[in-house]
Amino acid sequence: MKPHTLLANGLSAGYGETLILDGLDLAVPPGRITVIVGANACGKSTLLRTLSRLLPARKGQVLLDGKSIHRIPSRDLARTLGLLPQSPIAPEGITVADLVSRGRHPHQGVFSRWTREDDEAVAAALAATKTDDLSERPIDELSGGQRQRVWIAMALAQQTDLLLLDEPTTFLDISHQIEVLDLLTDLNQTRGTTIVMVLHDLNLAARYADHLVAMTKGRLHVAGPPEAVLTEDHVRQVFGLESRIITDPTSGRPTMLPIGRHRMIAPAIKEPL
Amino acid sequence: MLAPLVDSIVLNRRRRARRHRLVIGLLLVLVAATFVLTLLLGQSFTPPRDILRTLMGEDVPGVAFTVGQLRLPRAILTILAGLSFGLGGVAFQIMLRNPLASPDIIGISWGASAAAVFAIVVLGLSGPIVSILAVSAGLGVALLVYALSFRNGVAGTRLILVGIGVSAMLESVIAYILSTAPAWTLQEALRWLTGSVNGAQLGQTLPLLVALALFGGLLLSRARDLEALRLGDDTAAALGVRVGRTRVLIIIAAVGMIASATAISGPIAFVAFLSGPIAARIVGNNGSLLVPAALTGAALVLVGDYCGQFLLPSRYPVGVVTGALGAPYLIFLIVRVNRSGGSL
Repeated sequence: MKPHTLLANGLSAGYGETLILDGLDLAVPPGRITVIVGANACGKSTLLRTLSRLLPARKGQVLLDGKSIHRIPSRDLARTLGLLPQSPIAPEGITVADLVSRGRHPHQGVFSRWTREDDEAVAAALAATKTDDLSERPIDELSGGQRQRVWIAMALAQQTDLLLLDEPTTFLDISHQIEVLDLLTDLNQTRGTTIVMVLHDLNLAARYADHLVAMTKGRLHVAGPPEAVLTEDHVRQVFGLESRIITDPTSGRPTMLPIGRHRMIAPAIKEPL
Repeated sequence: MLAPLVDSIVLNRRRRARRHRLVIGLLLVLVAATFVLTLLLGQSFTPPRDILRTLMGEDVPGVAFTVGQLRLPRAILTILAGLSFGLGGVAFQIMLRNPLASPDIIGISWGASAAAVFAIVVLGLSGPIVSILAVSAGLGVALLVYALSFRNGVAGTRLILVGIGVSAMLESVIAYILSTAPAWTLQEALRWLTGSVNGAQLGQTLPLLVALALFGGLLLSRARDLEALRLGDDTAAALGVRVGRTRVLIIIAAVGMIASATAISGPIAFVAFLSGPIAARIVGNNGSLLVPAALTGAALVLVGDYCGQFLLPSRYPVGVVTGALGAPYLIFLIVRVNRSGGSL
């Protein structure tokens, strides 16, 4: 599979009068997992929406394989780049298999019939997300974790080489969060899908990211391998929070321990642990 | 390894498609049966043989008038109006993901009515010009509601609230005009308030048929994109749907149909609003609601008009009957939506 490149150059975008992204530059490494973190309202979701053309850029541009995404026909774009929004809407009573089949939309014409290829893509997506035994259940009956896997299955059925996800782990308990992140990592490792996602949890971000991006006020603050990005200085600059960074013994990745005003038994100054 | 899963997916998809065809078939039978009933049975019973002979162009004494001039035009017009209201209504409801978003609730039908009443009472007009004004006003109100609710795109609930406000305004305009109207225009003007197929003529059916074919065809060609919009605008856009353009096309098609039907039969109360949810109950999750809702609309208007003419103690225009059906459902829906925030 030819890896796709996704670049943002001096990107500005926003809603109404307010500018939320303000001259942001970003290079998404092909075939890797990129995780975007940042304080609330720093423009993470806006960035994903602008990268996937849901929101027009005011200034600057988004380049997919060197071509401005505004020059790419919608259907072609939807076959290369998929997006799972933060709160997608499931029509009342829709079954899992039916919802996942909606992912085939960009592969079908106005009057085209279902092909074997479509059915196989849906089956593969259900199997990869382990939702195959739920396929005839209505989605309203599922738990939050199952439902999120179904939405990811829909995005998989779209068979895009690039997949953007806006907080795919929100509202899930910790075991389901890990399940979803493991699933996305499988996808990245077996199919080489380039993944870009917004996560709230810094420690999970550092654990699962190949490339970690921290944003402040609509700009890219720092980007690179998690070890270089998740530092006490950066946490202070991005979140205004004092913290201690240690190495997670199981993953070898940096882990952030926040420092507040209470419950401190050691002074909040640097000393070797 | 995936083969059994693929097979079960294919099987289930085909089963859903079969059920969808079955529902459409049954609704077609229902509409056809009611159509035949209204031809056969009015104030008097006409034998089927006489009706067939009349339809073939023979001049059967007595029957030629009751069937050829009264019942047949009325039945055809009723079906066309029902199809237009049903299809236009469900398109809005699906697009805005809310059963309250039907054109008769958000002011489009009222726009057409207000323009017609104004034309008849104040300008003293009559005939096709009134219909043309009504259609243009329907489109105008749709644009106005859309523009007033535009802020970083159009949110469904905002559009519905703005629409309800605009409806209230238009209703008061109508009430004002009627209160000042000279008595001889009232009869004609009142038709624009309740909706009626009284005095239908075959000549009226052709323009409505053309409008239905044109706008309905446009709508059906966007059926897949409309279906994708049910997942939310962002998801639809991510699936390659051009959301803004699709919306505009659907609004033009739906308003075109609703306003054309309103121009001929008046705003037959709540048919656009009721057809979609009833069709949704029947179809379930077995496929698109567009055609089933259109057929449901036709059945509603046919049955409603028949009841209004022959089954109730006195003669009522069809809009009174459908209004009596629709109002309680509207209340039920507002209560339910309030509780769950649910969609169609």
